[in-house]
Amino acid sequence: MRRFLLPLILLGLFIAESIFVQLTPPGLFGSGKIAVPRFLIVSLLFLTIYGSKKHGVIYGLLFGLLFDIVYVEIIGIYLFLFPLIAYITTKLMKILQTNVAMASIIVIVGVALLEAGAYQLNFLIHRTDMDFASFLSVRLAPTLILNLIFIILAAFPFKRLFEKYALSLND
Amino acid sequence: MPQFFLNKRLIILLVSIIILVALIGFSLKDRENLTWPEQFLKDTTGFVQNAVSRPVNYVAGFFENIQDLQNTYKENKELKTRLDELARLESEVQRLKKDNTELREVLDKQDSLSEFEPKQATVIGRNPDRWHELLIINKGENAGIEPNMAVITSKGLIGKVKSSNTFTSTVQLLSSMDPTNRISAEIQAKDGSFFGLIEGYDKEKGLLLLKRIPYDAKVEKGQNVITSGLGGVFPKSLPIGKVVDVVPDEFGLTQTAYVEPGADFYDIGHVMVVKRGVLQPELMEMIDEKEEEL
Repeated sequence: MRRFLLPLILLGLFIAESIFVQLTPPGLFGSGKIAVPRFLIVSLLFLTIYGSKKHGVIYGLLFGLLFDIVYVEIIGIYLFLFPLIAYITTKLMKILQTNVAMASIIVIVGVALLEAGAYQLNFLIHRTDMDFASFLSVRLAPTLILNLIFIILAAFPFKRLFEKYALSLND
Repeated sequence: MPQFFLNKRLIILLVSIIILVALIGFSLKDRENLTWPEQFLKDTTGFVQNAVSRPVNYVAGFFENIQDLQNTYKENKELKTRLDELARLESEVQRLKKDNTELREVLDKQDSLSEFEPKQATVIGRNPDRWHELLIINKGENAGIEPNMAVITSKGLIGKVKSSNTFTSTVQLLSSMDPTNRISAEIQAKDGSFFGLIEGYDKEKGLLLLKRIPYDAKVEKGQNVITSGLGGVFPKSLPIGKVVDVVPDEFGLTQTAYVEPGADFYDIGHVMVVKRGVLQPELMEMIDEKEEEL
């Protein structure tokens, strides 16, 4: 049972993102603003910080592939970005100390990187023609606010969960 | 030794970028449907999403109903005034329908472009990143859904089926930016109708762009826009929206109309997938004919 807990939680967050977008009213952060729920990458980054680095990158790869196939239908965007950001996080954690506040800041930076990376890739393949300035105000700012709220709510539960997970790996 | 590790990392990065480009190129290719591993994964997650979204929608629907109750009195008053009008309209529609079938019989013309059979489906997922406006619905190939079918809500056209799997399918909304997303449309004016193509969506204004209208067409504000059925896939006369503004295009040869969509592209719960009654000729057949002419 223990072994399936983590994939189940990640799968739950994966589906929660889609349900969140379906249920929230469009003008949550002002009209025309788009706030993207990034619950999955938040949990993945907490996993890399408190759990295991290797597992963070591997789960990033798996769920990136799943995200691409199910939601985007263009394979490669999140398959590449999820593990890359998890990897950058492992490098950052070597320099910085791990308290919850610091970890939360790193996670929010990771969300910003993901959002900017997805924007750049979609811009390259002509799936959007938004310019960078309007990207910052229309998408990035509301997304960061939404995910910051989620991080504040979920930081402690995630910390406890993944620390337990790290212990169970050592056994 | 550190030099070696640095190189290894660099090689991994380069290889993964090559794989990334190859995969994106593969999936951007104009493919008719997804490969079977993708279909299998989509169906499996679709099964989970279906199981989750049903109770969630039930609870959300309950709260919505409570909100609706507050407006009931006002709405009821308004609806009563419209009811008298409706009875008259209904009898007229009946008469026209009968007329139409009789005239068709006289002409011996059985199939019409506007005939279609709708299939009900429920939205079970939506792309959260919203760069690509995609919906996942709970009907697939086993319910007869194929790629490129039109998808409507009660208020109007919202998009087309992008790909279909066995039990689920993906719907691409009109609001997503895709150069291959083109719909042949018709503006209903008093004296005849004008044709154009829906190409693109203005995200800031929330309006669809209806391009390539002839320069001498007298398009006015408030005229209805429907599908023309000439594109070969969609049936005729599905409502799209209303004209809001008309501007000449950059070279002055054609006009572009801004169309306010009738359907809401955000709040979508139930959709209808529309199968055209008239058979579409196979592309291969058309090509063969042309070659014979040459």
